[in-house]
Amino acid sequence: MPRLILKLLLLTMISAVTCLGQSTTGTVTMSATVSKFVEINSGGAVTLTGNSGGGVTTDGVINTPLAVSINLGELGPVNINNFVTAQVPLKLRSNAPYVLSMSATVTSSGTSASRIVASDVGFGLGTVSRTGLGVNAGADTNATSGDPTLPANGSVNGTTGRYEFTAVRSNLSAFSSATTALSGPIIMNAVPRSNANGLTVPAFFAIKPQFFENGTTTISVTFTVTAP
Amino acid sequence: MRLRRLTYSLCSVLILVAVAQAISAQALDISSGGLPTITGSVNGSVTGNAAVTGDLVVTIDFGEVSPLNPNSIVKVVVPIALRSNQPYQVAVSFSGLTNANAEALQATDVGLGIQNMRLLGGAGQICNQSTHIIRSPFNNDPAVTATVGSNGRVLYPSSLGNLSGSTVVLSGPELSKNNSIKRQQSDGYVFDVILAVTPQFFAAGISSATLIFSIAPGPNVPC
Repeated sequence: MPRLILKLLLLTMISAVTCLGQSTTGTVTMSATVSKFVEINSGGAVTLTGNSGGGVTTDGVINTPLAVSINLGELGPVNINNFVTAQVPLKLRSNAPYVLSMSATVTSSGTSASRIVASDVGFGLGTVSRTGLGVNAGADTNATSGDPTLPANGSVNGTTGRYEFTAVRSNLSAFSSATTALSGPIIMNAVPRSNANGLTVPAFFAIKPQFFENGTTTISVTFTVTAP
Repeated sequence: MRLRRLTYSLCSVLILVAVAQAISAQALDISSGGLPTITGSVNGSVTGNAAVTGDLVVTIDFGEVSPLNPNSIVKVVVPIALRSNQPYQVAVSFSGLTNANAEALQATDVGLGIQNMRLLGGAGQICNQSTHIIRSPFNNDPAVTATVGSNGRVLYPSSLGNLSGSTVVLSGPELSKNNSIKRQQSDGYVFDVILAVTPQFFAAGISSATLIFSIAPGPNVPC
């Protein structure tokens, strides 16, 4: 009798083991990563006004990497305009809060205090626009004082007679190292990269023609956007 | 004497249970349908069982689905094999993807489609009186049918968002000619599950989800 019981139990175990060869369920596990993403591109063509000679050497092309080259022309008293102004449209996109910083260098062939220096180059960011399908509404913080040619942003120094951009972060001397110019919340909602919309903002550069020391000056500006 | 009767009774019950389990497993089976594939990914991967006699255990990493991925879509094809000697239905249940931020990856952002129901081999049953039915809305390739919605976000005709509880996605007549209690190379059908994610400006983060496919007796249709 015990042998029979043993055989029956063995048969039961074999049957159970046989069942393991098949299954009525299967599992698919999935994961995906969304990293922080930010980009800066050209927001369109450069606008140059008040210049005498010069011109836009390499213009901005909307939605392509920002690489603009501008010849501001004559900046001495030969230029009778009030300001030489270059307006460079920027386009930013991100899936995270962003910070736009800028750094600038100004080098002149002049050697005296009357040569063009960083503080002679006015700078500011204009009105920020978040419009278009897929663009997230949000309030941005402009750390500059806007259009540097506005009367509130500069004036003639009563002592030296030199025109100065006096408002907060209104000239390139404030950007000798990477310094925040604009910041804000997420720019884009969940839309594909092929959606061409984004945040646009004009960057103003301005110089007031004055009795600067003769020579040539090179101004180099680098914009960087990060998602801290 | 009583102990002997009790022992006989217990053994009989155990045998019946075992036999019943064996018959059940023999009747309905789901397994790997071959190696899954992934395209359009950045740092993505997919693993699974290459053998059609292996269990269905697939791990998908879609990789980067932010705009850092320049591809238009990340597509994964998972072949799944079915065997049965009776009408069947396949259901899918889903868990995960519980992002509270609406701009983060949601269930509706993962396209889910079923395509290419085909014979596994010569031992698959060909029925002339009933067809295998891919339930609506899953009969599409989401990598092909994706569109941009009115809010700019990509939409799929069917997605993980269409799964509610255990959702039947496929049903039909019997699948196997034989009654083998073991999986064979050719005794059933195989179909493709297609999963697709379009890289977008999703809110940053890591998301995960689990799909469980199950086969059960289906509507009683003739072969």
